[in-house]
Amino acid sequence: MKMKRNYYEDVQMFTSGVVLFWFLTLLTGLFLLPLVVKNYYVYVANYMAINVIVVLGLNLLVGYTGQISLGHAGFFAIGAYGTLMLMVKLHLPFIVALPLAALITAGFGFLLGLPALRLEGPYLAIATLGFGLTITQVIGRLEIFGGREGLHAPDLTIGSWRLDTDIEFYYLLMVITISLALAARNIVKTRVGRAFIAIRDADIAAQTIGVNVVLYKTLAFAVSAFYAGIAGGLYAFVLRFIEPEIFTLMMSIMFLAMCVVGGVGSMMGAITGACLLSWMDLQLRNILNLPYIGAWLESISKTYFSITGVSNIQFIVFGLIMILIMTLEPLGLFGLWIRVKKYWKTWPF
Amino acid sequence: MKSKSVLGCLVLSVCLMFGFNTALAEEGITDTEIHIGQWGPQTGPAAAWGSVARGTGAYFQMINAKGGINGRKIVYHMFDDAYNPAKTKAGVKELQEGTGIFAWACGVGTSPGLAVIDYLTEREIPWIGPAAGSLHWITPPRKHLFPVYPLYYNEAKALIRYAVKEMGKTKIAIVYQNDEYGKNGLRGAREELVTHGLNTVVEMPVELKDTDMKSHVMQLRKSGADMVLLWTSVSHAVRIVGTSRAMQFTPQFMSTSTCSDFPLMMHISKGLWEGVICATFGELPDADDPLMKMYKKEAFDAFAAKDERWGLFYYAGILFVEPMVEAMKRCGKDLTRDRLVAELEKLRDFKGIGPKISFKPFDPNDPSSRQGGSQTFLIQCLKDGKAKKLTDWMDI
Amino acid sequence: MIDFIQTIVSGIAAGSSYALMGLAMVLIYKTSEVPNFAQGELALAASFFAYMIMESFGLSFFLALPCALSFAFLLGCFLEFLVLRRAKTPNILSMIVITIGLEMILLGLVSWKFGADQKTMPFPISPYDSMAIGNIFISTLELVTVFVVLAIMAALYLLLRFSKMGLAMKATQQNTMAARLMGIRANRVLNLTWGLSSVVGAIAGLLIAPTLMHPYMMWDPLLKGFAAAVMGGMTSLPGAVSGAFLLGIIENIFGTYISIEFKAVVAFAIIVIILCIKPSGLFARHYVKKV
Repeated sequence: MKMKRNYYEDVQMFTSGVVLFWFLTLLTGLFLLPLVVKNYYVYVANYMAINVIVVLGLNLLVGYTGQISLGHAGFFAIGAYGTLMLMVKLHLPFIVALPLAALITAGFGFLLGLPALRLEGPYLAIATLGFGLTITQVIGRLEIFGGREGLHAPDLTIGSWRLDTDIEFYYLLMVITISLALAARNIVKTRVGRAFIAIRDADIAAQTIGVNVVLYKTLAFAVSAFYAGIAGGLYAFVLRFIEPEIFTLMMSIMFLAMCVVGGVGSMMGAITGACLLSWMDLQLRNILNLPYIGAWLESISKTYFSITGVSNIQFIVFGLIMILIMTLEPLGLFGLWIRVKKYWKTWPF
Repeated sequence: MKSKSVLGCLVLSVCLMFGFNTALAEEGITDTEIHIGQWGPQTGPAAAWGSVARGTGAYFQMINAKGGINGRKIVYHMFDDAYNPAKTKAGVKELQEGTGIFAWACGVGTSPGLAVIDYLTEREIPWIGPAAGSLHWITPPRKHLFPVYPLYYNEAKALIRYAVKEMGKTKIAIVYQNDEYGKNGLRGAREELVTHGLNTVVEMPVELKDTDMKSHVMQLRKSGADMVLLWTSVSHAVRIVGTSRAMQFTPQFMSTSTCSDFPLMMHISKGLWEGVICATFGELPDADDPLMKMYKKEAFDAFAAKDERWGLFYYAGILFVEPMVEAMKRCGKDLTRDRLVAELEKLRDFKGIGPKISFKPFDPNDPSSRQGGSQTFLIQCLKDGKAKKLTDWMDI
Repeated sequence: MIDFIQTIVSGIAAGSSYALMGLAMVLIYKTSEVPNFAQGELALAASFFAYMIMESFGLSFFLALPCALSFAFLLGCFLEFLVLRRAKTPNILSMIVITIGLEMILLGLVSWKFGADQKTMPFPISPYDSMAIGNIFISTLELVTVFVVLAIMAALYLLLRFSKMGLAMKATQQNTMAARLMGIRANRVLNLTWGLSSVVGAIAGLLIAPTLMHPYMMWDPLLKGFAAAVMGGMTSLPGAVSGAFLLGIIENIFGTYISIEFKAVVAFAIIVIILCIKPSGLFARHYVKKV
């Protein structure tokens, strides 16, 4: 059994050579990916990476601090609109506009964190949900944000590097995603993260031993919003066009589902959950083109259901997978992974 | 056991991933096939519009059954984007870069379209007849994008002109959906009113999220309007007419082509739609028009699933691609994108089941070089869901 | 003045459709502390079931009504038995995600079966008839809804307060383990609660369906009902109903006198403010948490 002997062993980046090896393998894999797969899958990877960023942030809030948010699409929207507005109206370069917009988003996160100091459970859920709905309504109302007609994204340049293709954007995204993932890991492992966890497990007890609950709860919201803001800013460049109706309640719900399906309170869980669900979100539309299954689905639609609504099978499959994972293991994919690992370790006992 | 079922899930999901490659001379064209793509929401809140994409499908099947276009069959790739721009872009990329699409047809919705407009324009891929009357398609005009749908702006003008000139209405109120769709209508109506020296008595925005229309109707009633123009979605229009009835407010209602599917409107409004005047962009479903009869018989009756309805949206899917098919026919055996664009530009007063369609040689400063249709006509809803033609096709 | 009274009346009418969904959510929350996001879709399934048997078997509404309600009851019990009971060591978040999953499945099934076209359900009262008192209008259907809401609220209140079942529900909520030791079949209590709440939701669906039916029709009532229930305290039945009426009135006053564009979302902004002042809602006792 390995035991940690001092604090630095807990915070060090790579706990063993094996971890370092896998991390480097992952990096190489991600670096080589666009050279191997078709451009379309690079786009899919970009979409996934953006969801990963949001869910990493959401996980800090939901998984580590024990709060709940059904309004992350609101932060996502602020990030997207903030970035574009700063670039279009103030002519800031992308590299400045993106973090600045994310900081503005973090400010909104801080504000939403204030009512959260007194609320929990369904009360907090409704408050955040209301925030998500209201923010898109307000944006849609203000003509300066292009109203309901939306905004077009300008060309994306960093210095003299113009990012036109999905592949170039992919590398930018990977750099940002990996640094944000490492940052999230460091937050969790250090004093701030321990304060978050203390609040999650028992906020009154945490307060008693000297954790500043007001500071850390609002901080959790702010950090989480910061992540969503960065992701939103990048999403605007994936679509190259944004309008308020894109940032729906369904989006917020999806973010939360990604977080929970992956496994609350684990980095790897957040990443796998986001990848799995966003991939399904994009790919399930092809379910009717599958050999055999597609034809079978069509034939039962003709007999028992309606052929005009046959695409809705996506929802059923999506819901089933979500329920299956959650009923098997409340900790989601991460919990399953732990269970499988334990099974092999202790086999045959 | 449990880990096995999870493994099963993973295997299933990996199976979902597939694609194939074909090398072609002109992308999307072989000696026997033309690949055409379209997106349309089959799921999600906008799914009622999905029948546009299915209508196009039946039309292409009809063409194939008659021998195709100059010996080539159309291979139609439709996918569901759930009105989510991220999915539209994903699907367009997958088909364009995987299968290779020669040209895109229709495509429902403004914001899904705007998510891919740059992608298609940069690659110079023709896109004909987006199914939304948005000004975005022609500001600025793009060489390879050919909108057919008459502008909402023009429809509003036609309706207001009729109300003022023929019906003598002076107190005109407008209820508009608070987005690009509604505001285009609002703009057209305002401009037309000004030319008659009038002004709206009240302008009421409706949000997509609204379900309760009582405050809206109260203000309409207070304004004493004798004509109310509804530039909203189908559900909102029905709710407003219904709530007005409940509050005993009975002006003349007028509405857009979106709400001009009278059998549907009569059914869901439980008969209240009777007497409402709408602008529309396609021949009536039971019209005597020979083309319309042919489509009904040879496309709809032969190829539509049994739970489809021969409604406006369904045959709109045919209407929007008629110019494209015509131009492809005129191209002859030697079909390329450049020739398709050239042939489309030569279309003058092409008449299918929709308005007359004309394009002009591309001029980046002239939006009308790319706006195909501008005609519309007005119909009034009768008791049995049939429509009475109030005007003939009119140019605005 | 007439306007003002009309606004209040319209608000109450609008609130009544939120109230039923709120009641349904409160019922489940009271026993299992899960905000049930599948509530709307349970009601949707029941309403489309009623529509189907009326359209294809030609049943009259009064025959279809008990069929639909029993369908709703069975569906609620069945889903609880099949899905929620299977979830291990329930933590709230995973339960929420499971209800979202259920919601997607039911939504998928309904739209697969019935397509996306709007429909309307045959109903004995036209949703567009109205009654007028002087210059104040209220539609007959809405008046019926208001009375149904009050009746159901009273019935549920009596049930929870004075019946054995109600006592068992309360015991299960407070301490499941202790309740089990006292001989209460906690599983069965939960099961019946789901059935009951599904019936209440279905009544809401059946009263909304005569106006317009489509697969997404229950989203807004669900959210507003949830909001109303939270405003009323999430565990109090009269709280949910008065919260819903208050919500409807606030919306309508805001829509008439301040800004019609923000009418649909103003409720949520106001809830945040109310919750800041009274964190457990208006009508619930403030919870005391032990460390």
